Amino acid sequence: MPRSLTWPSLFTALMYAFMYFPIVVLGVYSFSDSRYSSGWGGFSLRWYRALFSDRRIFAALQDSLTIAIVAVAVSAVLGTLMAIGLARYRFWGKALYRGVSYLPLIIPDIAIAVATLVFLASVAVPLSLGTIIAAHIVFCLAYVAVVVSSRLQSLDPNLEEAALDLGATPTQALIKVLIPQLAPAILAGCLLAFVLSMDDLLISSFTAGGGANPLPLEIFSRVRTGVKPDINALSVVLILGSALLAGLAEYVRYRSDRNRQPS
Amino acid sequence: MSGMRRLNAFSYPRPALSRRRFIQGSAAVMAGLAAANCRQNLSGPPSGGGNDGTLHIYTWANYTDDGLSQAFTEKTGIPVVVDIFDSNESMLTKMQAGGGGAYSIIYPSDYMVSEMTELNLLTELDQSRITGLENLKAKWVNPAYDPNNAHSIPFCWGTTGLVYNRKASPGAPVDWDFLWENQAALARRVTLIDDMRETLGATLKSLGYSYNTNNPAEIEAAYKWLLELRPAIAAFKTTGFESELLGGDLSVSMAYSSDAIALALEDDNLEYIIPASGSSLWTDTLAIPATAPNVEAAYQWMNFILDPEVARAAVERLLFATANQAAFDRLPPDIQNNKGLYPPEEVLVKSEGIVAVDEVSTALFDKFWTQVTSA
Amino acid sequence: MAPPLAPSPPPSPPWADRLAPRRWLGPVVLLGPAGLWLLLLLVLPTLLILEISLVPGLRLGQPSGGYGLGNYLQILQPIYLRVMGRSLVFALGSTLLCLVLGFPVAYWLALMSPKRWRNLLLVGFILPLWTSSLLRAYAWITILRPSGVVNTLLTALGLPTQNWLNTSTAVFIGLAYSFLPYMVLILYASLEKLDTRLLEAAADLGATPRQGFWKITVPQTMPGIAAGCLLVFIASLGDFVVPTLLGGASSMNISRLIYNQFLGPTRAWGFGSALSMVLIFAVSLAIALLLRYGDRSTVTEAS
Repeated sequence: MPRSLTWPSLFTALMYAFMYFPIVVLGVYSFSDSRYSSGWGGFSLRWYRALFSDRRIFAALQDSLTIAIVAVAVSAVLGTLMAIGLARYRFWGKALYRGVSYLPLIIPDIAIAVATLVFLASVAVPLSLGTIIAAHIVFCLAYVAVVVSSRLQSLDPNLEEAALDLGATPTQALIKVLIPQLAPAILAGCLLAFVLSMDDLLISSFTAGGGANPLPLEIFSRVRTGVKPDINALSVVLILGSALLAGLAEYVRYRSDRNRQPS
Repeated sequence: MSGMRRLNAFSYPRPALSRRRFIQGSAAVMAGLAAANCRQNLSGPPSGGGNDGTLHIYTWANYTDDGLSQAFTEKTGIPVVVDIFDSNESMLTKMQAGGGGAYSIIYPSDYMVSEMTELNLLTELDQSRITGLENLKAKWVNPAYDPNNAHSIPFCWGTTGLVYNRKASPGAPVDWDFLWENQAALARRVTLIDDMRETLGATLKSLGYSYNTNNPAEIEAAYKWLLELRPAIAAFKTTGFESELLGGDLSVSMAYSSDAIALALEDDNLEYIIPASGSSLWTDTLAIPATAPNVEAAYQWMNFILDPEVARAAVERLLFATANQAAFDRLPPDIQNNKGLYPPEEVLVKSEGIVAVDEVSTALFDKFWTQVTSA
Repeated sequence: MAPPLAPSPPPSPPWADRLAPRRWLGPVVLLGPAGLWLLLLLVLPTLLILEISLVPGLRLGQPSGGYGLGNYLQILQPIYLRVMGRSLVFALGSTLLCLVLGFPVAYWLALMSPKRWRNLLLVGFILPLWTSSLLRAYAWITILRPSGVVNTLLTALGLPTQNWLNTSTAVFIGLAYSFLPYMVLILYASLEKLDTRLLEAAADLGATPRQGFWKITVPQTMPGIAAGCLLVFIASLGDFVVPTLLGGASSMNISRLIYNQFLGPTRAWGFGSALSMVLIFAVSLAIALLLRYGDRSTVTEAS
């Protein structure tokens, strides 16, 4: 039997088709002239034109990017430091601390969203863009910490010891030796956190207020109140953006694997 | 495992400000500043100052569009940002949970105005700052839900009825009963409004009771009757059924007249009817929340909306039924005579406005609604 | 060539040792900020919803009564138990679907695909994960509605049309679609580590490929299977977007119910908090089960 025609390979091909089928459908309808996505209406770019002149979408995209960039920036620092600290020290309550740091990955989004809203309402903090960012930092730093932790486990400790032997302060050893080694993992964690933050609906809808309107919230409200097909055009644009990000992530991982091989 | 390390046993003189600590420190300071700045912007006192001059509006879908906001900005120089809510209750929740601090204009419905007034969430309007109050239709000069329009200005009104697709429906509905009678043919092709009082109320009406009954037996009967309709219900949607109805995927949708008429005018196959046994008569209003940051701009918006010319243009584009008599007089005859938008008196007489019911009944409504939507 | 070691200072007494900045400065600076953030914005809020879940009938904007188990007892009503049951069915069903659909894909990718393209193929399969889950669910609306793509294809093939939108079927399809990449990713990580020599040895000893599969491959990858199933189960249990957009009137699950308590008409925050605590408990239970069988490093590697 030819090697490429085994049933797992056929099945896998089918599954690939399954995965990309909705994306292709969105793409096809984004070029269709028909308003009601129930039939091909002829090739047209009007939805892309509508998309690019849609102020609300761009305001929403801006809000989402602001939230994601700030949250990821803060989480990169906090999460990396936490991962290093957890790897390095033993102390009373460490298992509890580690457990808490895994909580955002485990607890479903809706529960986190509910808890955050109740907390903010109870201490009478007005909801705003800042509250969304604060809520996002919680799960972003957990993801960064997890990715960096797993990388830390496979690092060579001798490099840092050698730096200390050579007269570096612990801080210098951290900055000049450990962090560069961790850089690919930090970047991977940041990309993951970025994607999750951009995609978040529940936490944003619970903690948004005061005019803050992240993109998933805008899309959700449009889907619920009668969609105009410029959402299809938006999907295609976002998918291309994500593909770019995924490509970047893969490239970073490829480079870091190559750098790791000589050691 | 290589990751574990003992505490560093070497001792060194305490390091001067290290790069890591500096980065960390400035990140913390920046985050703190950002947080403080945001909070100051959004929870400023009602009398302005400290806000960025934008008018934030919280409203229903289809009540404002880009044309309206741009016209306002051109006239007054104040930028407008519009946010949408799809139910009075979610708007109230946002306002109460601290998410409404930025809004200077909200669009509550009639019964919500009464409720919010009791909760002290609305500012009392300074009628001397509002021009155009004399333009209101007679019925809304002193409405029951808000005596003398002390806290709100009526904006538009309407009924709740059925909009159906002639080609996809097993007949033309005349009354609420149509849904129950044609249940089999309508399997999962009906959507009902996702509002407890509207949908349970419509069921009450179809059984001959009132929307505002306080009789537990009647409410329970309505619940059971609605449960029987479940196999025909595709989803509970207040809006969002449009493209499916137009495409024939749905046969009948329960809808607010302001949404339905605009839709029906788009396509000959669609028609909006007000059920013969009566429906609910609602009014949507403009109000200024007690925590509004930009009260000056809010009054300007109100005056802008009350201006007959602006109101007329908005109605022609967005097709809602205005409460503004002066604007109504300027409308083209085909809109004035649109029976769906401006039903004749004999139809209006059978309809009722939804008002708050007593606590026990509210609890019953809650319970039955949750059971219907979760079954 | 190596510079001399820095001289070590004389040993200090134990109490000064404990208080000396160098001992606790490091851990505090590293673990403090993140710990504080998590404490303030995760632990405290969770404790808070635990507290208000114990106030029966708490509604936003109304004065609250005393403590009691009323909210939890309310959950025991048949209607809500049905919602819980439905959520479990959705979660279990989609987990099973993902396992059945995902295992062959992971198997082929890990063991049978050309080595050069392996990573690229894997990334290619995972790529849809990077797009918005909301948009992917919305795409399925277009596909599954009565005038949608599926029915167009079925009509072209002469088969009867289906109306799967707003039913449980649509929810299963949507959930399986959303979480299949996660399952494949985790199974791939596990299958990659499979020692094929064991399979060869088994073949040498006379086992058929099927025996080899069930007696060697599956037990060896069991930690990965458990981890993947757990991840998909938890994600499906708490999913909101797919049941809301694709499920319609007959697919109220626990996430939508919680959402309605907070942002819907009833504004029963006490009851909603109780539901959230139940969800958290269910998830913790599932994790406790995993820790008996599973391999945590597989999960962290997969993330």
